[in-house]
Amino acid sequence: MMGMLLSGYRISMIIFAVTLVGSIPLGMLVALGRLSKFKPLSLLMQLFISVLRGTPLMLQMFAVSFMPYYVFGLKTDANFPMIAVLISFVINYAAYFAEIYRSGIQSIPRGQYEAAEVLGYSSRQTFQRIVLPQVVKRVLPAMGNEVVTLVKDTSLAFSLGVLEMFTQARAIVTSQRTMAAFAVAALIYWVTCLIIEYIMRRIEKKLDYYHD
Amino acid sequence: MTNAEKHDARASRHQIPVPDASVSQILGLPAVYVKGARKSFSGREVLHDVSLSIARGEVVSVIGPSGAGKSTLLRCLTLLDTFDAGELYYGSLRVTERDENGRASYSKDASAKARMQFGIVFQNYNLFPHFTVMRNVCDAPIAVQGRDPAKVEAEAKQILERLGLAEHAEKVPNQLSGGQQQRVAIARALAMHPKVLYFDEATSALDPRLTADMRRIIRELAADGMAIGIVTHEMGFARDVSDRVAFLLDGRIVEEGPAEEVMENPTDARVREFLATAED
Ligand SMILES: Nc1ncnc2c1ncn2[C@@H]1O[C@H](COP(=O)(O)OP(=O)(O)OP(=O)(O)O)[C@@H](O)[C@H]1O
Ligand SMILES: [Mg+2]
Repeated sequence: MMGMLLSGYRISMIIFAVTLVGSIPLGMLVALGRLSKFKPLSLLMQLFISVLRGTPLMLQMFAVSFMPYYVFGLKTDANFPMIAVLISFVINYAAYFAEIYRSGIQSIPRGQYEAAEVLGYSSRQTFQRIVLPQVVKRVLPAMGNEVVTLVKDTSLAFSLGVLEMFTQARAIVTSQRTMAAFAVAALIYWVTCLIIEYIMRRIEKKLDYYHD
Repeated sequence: MTNAEKHDARASRHQIPVPDASVSQILGLPAVYVKGARKSFSGREVLHDVSLSIARGEVVSVIGPSGAGKSTLLRCLTLLDTFDAGELYYGSLRVTERDENGRASYSKDASAKARMQFGIVFQNYNLFPHFTVMRNVCDAPIAVQGRDPAKVEAEAKQILERLGLAEHAEKVPNQLSGGQQQRVAIARALAMHPKVLYFDEATSALDPRLTADMRRIIRELAADGMAIGIVTHEMGFARDVSDRVAFLLDGRIVEEGPAEEVMENPTDARVREFLATAED
């Protein structure tokens, strides 16, 4: 039983890690597009965020997984469900992160931009040196919540038949007629979340050297 | 400081040979000069034909009641906003050009050059909260001006020392008092080697002792040859620290001259009235 659960856990953690690595930067690009003075881009990003936050992730996963067949008439191979999961998770989480980043960026007082402007910083320097580090600190608590949610959301990959931990647990439960596998899986999810919360607290502490 | 002392400060300054005399010094141009400046917000003009200059080593205060346009003038002088019309010079650098409609236009290049000529101490300082005091002072000279980090840091130490901040170099702004934060803001501006230093409401947050300190600091900077522009509605401070004051009323400079003269014998009735109400 543990062997199956752990192999499922490995898949869950791959989904988790790829989603973070992809959506954290992608979300920033979306947020910057959303805040762009170029109206069409800003509206497009607003639509993107709104649709992805306003529809179930499960539905988005199905949409991505059926897209090659229904839109392009392509047959997909056995690996495609995992790829569909990764794509839809990255995009979905990017939308959530984008909203968090946006409110973080907008919470930086105008005086910071003005001070930077007078000192001659370029807009790129202003963003990288002045705005972004302060945004990171401000968005960390909200990001922490999303990251914990992501741990549990990985179980949605079950619906596309990806062999992540929940899928494995269910298979064990069905074949062995005992709930033990669910209990163990629950424990593993919970401990994972505790570890993540601990790491987030450590990072928050590190940024606690100043208040604004 | 009495007039004689001010004069002494200036006289002694002139005895010091200045090795890197710039064109503007040789020609005796003011450090900043604005002429015929106009500014409207949604059709309502808030600066009408304002002209003002500050020479090297001179402290000029712009005073006036709330809504007179002081902040607007300062924002335009620091290029955080733009004049609609008028001419703006920093030394020999012409910042504004006239376009075909007679409006002021700003080129990116001239604006970038001008920004290296002035610094500003904001009313609420706008320090970078995530940087230490040292980094607040050193970051722009290194990142913007591309100067040698070791030299910038050595100089920053001197500046902090001079402003009584040496022991706070590794703290972050929110560990400092308001008066200390203001001095960090001064240090941050000075590290860029500005020719003109502006203060927005230099003393509104300071107690009498700190106000006296600030007066001394400003006079010392002026004695070193810096042009100082102050925007304030604190009459007493303006009178104590300034060589010249300009009264801004409803977007017009209605009276201008040596501080004591203007504040003791104003010719304009509205200025007299304003001074009378400001006394109490
Ligand atoms: N961004 C803006 N948009 C519209 N009107 C503005 C703007 N900034 C200033 N004004 C108007 O311009 C006029 C001058 O304002 P300004 O802030 O320059 O006055 P001030 O002399 O600095 O006053 P205070 O002493 O209260 O700071 C005011 O009538 C103000 O309402
Ligand atoms: Mg003002």
